[in-house]
Parts: sequence; structure tokens; C-alpha cells
Amino acid sequence: MVFISLQGVSYAYNGRKEAAVKNISLSIGQAEKIAITGLNGSGKSTLAKLILGLLKPQNGKIILDGRPVGKYSLVGVGEKLGYVLQNPSQMLFNTSVYNEIAFGLKWRGKSKNEVHYLCKRYLDLFDLWDLRYEMPFNLSDGQKQLVAISAVLALQPSYLILDEPTKSIDTFRKKKLKDILQEIWRRGTGIMVISHDTELITGFEGRRIHMSKGEVVEDAVRYTD
Amino acid sequence: MQLDIRTKLFIAAIFSVLALVYQNPIMLAIVLVLNLLALILFRMPFNIFFGFRKFIYMYVILIIIQSLFVKSGEPLIQLGNTYLLTTDGIFYGISIILRFLILAGSGLILFNCNTSELLLALVKLRIPYEIVFMIQVGIRFIPQFTNELQNIFNGIQLRGVDLRKVYKRKVIRVYISIFTPLIYSVWQKAEKLSILLELRGFRKFPTRTYYREIFLKKIDYVVISFVLIITVAIVYTGSIL
Repeated sequence: MVFISLQGVSYAYNGRKEAAVKNISLSIGQAEKIAITGLNGSGKSTLAKLILGLLKPQNGKIILDGRPVGKYSLVGVGEKLGYVLQNPSQMLFNTSVYNEIAFGLKWRGKSKNEVHYLCKRYLDLFDLWDLRYEMPFNLSDGQKQLVAISAVLALQPSYLILDEPTKSIDTFRKKKLKDILQEIWRRGTGIMVISHDTELITGFEGRRIHMSKGEVVEDAVRYTD
Repeated sequence: MQLDIRTKLFIAAIFSVLALVYQNPIMLAIVLVLNLLALILFRMPFNIFFGFRKFIYMYVILIIIQSLFVKSGEPLIQLGNTYLLTTDGIFYGISIILRFLILAGSGLILFNCNTSELLLALVKLRIPYEIVFMIQVGIRFIPQFTNELQNIFNGIQLRGVDLRKVYKRKVIRVYISIFTPLIYSVWQKAEKLSILLELRGFRKFPTRTYYREIFLKKIDYVVISFVLIITVAIVYTGSIL
């Protein structure tokens, strides 16, 4: 079943002559695992922002779960998709790591016990439980990134979009993140990873879309490298 | 018309001073018309000016506030002993609106100017380089902060907070959540910037030279003289009225 559909989508940023995304058509299934690769400025993050409705395409249509993405509120999109920004600092706004994970859960009406259980579970994923009372801003860039990822994972979205998730993460945790993503995907959550980190992408089973100058130049399914 | 940035600064300053000096709506209307003519002449984004129509409710509120507090003039609408609308209230309200439009128009004169040219002009006007540099940094970071603020808004909403439906008692908490990362980011950038400046030898030498130079041309002197004549004429007309 098609969960996200892009039909002839183009987008150019204000004041730029060349479009960041050019005439892209894609169909993405609910439980599909996709790696979007490409050089800096190839349009990967723009594509993610278009899917989330943060940018409005100048041409083409984007359908999310049967409805045009423009018809959803941002909160509505958030219920369907989990998104981790390229810069995790912009996603952290609470006074402690624990509250950061609990923030979205509380707003979604989870009980105190459920919030505590999910906070513990998702902080333990990346060994962050001991840092639960720390101010997120005082953490290292890598730790911030892991907190941002945990906060989104805790919301258990049906589809997950991660923009450069391994930018500042050490090799050990990168491997762990890869395993966790694989596990989440096995349980039925679709995943889109936008990255040019070969360490993460190598051995990435699933669909690979390679972008260059705003266009999809390769779209193939790979199971082994 | 290609004018030196200092000429544009001079014109903007003249309009702003006239807007603040006069209270008579007729004089302010004359200044506004001249301001609009200047915008047309310099091919400035005149259409942005019409965007101020959105603030029409604010203009009405201004007139009502003036009527409530200015006790002079003939009452037009009265509720018991309270004057809701008076002739002087309308008079002063219109003055404030015109003043606001002139000040906005003066800002638009500088709208299209090149930032580096503006900074060079400020240096030529003998403003200390440290202050000019601070202005430069401010201008440079405005789009970035706007972008960051937008990202934070998006991040909060994507994590389930519907800003339109937040309960009143929770509004403050949500807005603290929005501004905490922004203030932190500003703080961090300022700290990093100061380190980078030190590393690049900022203010190591007392004098600083510039690769580019700007000069006032004949047309600038002509325009400045013309603006001065017009200003004298306005001041003279104002003294008669």
C-alpha cells in the first residue's frame, strides 16, 4: 500500500534560479525502508521537508496516507511521520533529557506510568538514562542527536524520517543506531534515512534512492553490498 | 537612479525627522506623498507599502485610544461621560498613522541597498568600526534566526503540540520551550563568533583598510541639494500652516 506518493514534484528556493528538487515522482510504502543518498545540496533534505509539508511544492502533488499533505496540519503530519532534523539543537527545548523524551508523550495524553516506561526504554536504547537530569543543551553534539532521535522514536511513529542521523555520532553508537533502525523496521515501521554517511548506508538493506542536482538518478532495491 | 547609499541614508533621515517633528496631518500627508514619490523615483518596492493595509484594525484602535485619552475636541460618539470618538482623537490618530507610514516608507528607501555598501557608508560617516561590525553581524544573522525559530515551531508541532489549541495556562510553558533553544543558540553563536574573531585578529591593528571605496557622484550632490530645498520649503509651509 502506498503511504507517501510524490507526483512530478518540483521546488525552487526563493531567489535561486535552479530548482532544489526537479520533477520527482516516487511511491513509498508504509513499511518501506529507504536510504536517500547524494552529495551536499542534491535536494535530499528539501525532499524530506516537502514530504512533511514544511515546504510547498511549486509543481506536482504530494499525497500522505491518501490525502494531500497540504490538507494536514503540522500536528497531523507529526501523528503520521516522525522526523529528526539535521540540526538536533533545534529539536531540544526542555530543561532535562528526561523531559525532552516525555514532552511529546505528555502532549499525546499518555499516563504518568506510560511516560516513565517509554522514557526509560528509549533512553536506555542509547545508554542515555544516566544523563536524564542533564540539560540537553549541555550535552555533546552526538548526545544531542541521540536524544533527539530517542524523543522521536518514543512517539512510535508509523513512518520515520531521519535527516543525517549520524552526523556527530561515534562509530559504536552508529552501529547501534543501525541495528535499532533495523529492529524498528522489522516491527513494521517504515524508515527513510537521508544520509551521505557510507558507514551507515553500507549494508543498508532496502530501497536506495540516489539524488543528484535535485533529481533521482538511481532508485533500486538492494539486499546486500 | 543609482545613488550612493549615503544619499539614500540622508533622504531616509530627512523623512524620519520630518515625520517626528510635525503633528499636523496636512503636513504629514505632504511628507508622505513626497516619500512615495521618492520610492517611485528610486524604483523601490512600492507595492510592499500597500501591505500596511493589513494593519487597518490597528489604525482604528489608535484613533479610539487617542479619543479616549485626548479630552479636547468635539465629541462625536459618547458613552455616558466617556468620549469614545472625538474630532481631536481622529486628528491625533491620523497623525500617528501617517507618521508610522512615513517611517516605514523611509525604511523602504534603504530596502534594496547592498549590506556591504551600507556598512562602508557608515564607516565613511565616521561611525566606529566596532559598532558597524555589530550592525553587520545583526543583519547577517536575522535570516538565520528566523529560520531557526521556524524550525523550532515546526519541531514542537511535529511532536504533537497544536499551538492553536494550547490551553491558556500552558501557553507560557510552550513559548518558553520555543524561546529557550533560540536564546541558547544566540548565546552559543555569540560565544563562537567572539572566539573566531579573536583567532582572526579582530582589532589587532588600530586602523583598517577597505578593498572597496565608495564615492559621492554629481547626481548625489544634485539629489541632496534638491532634498534640502524641498525640506526648507516644507518647513516654511509648516510655519505658515
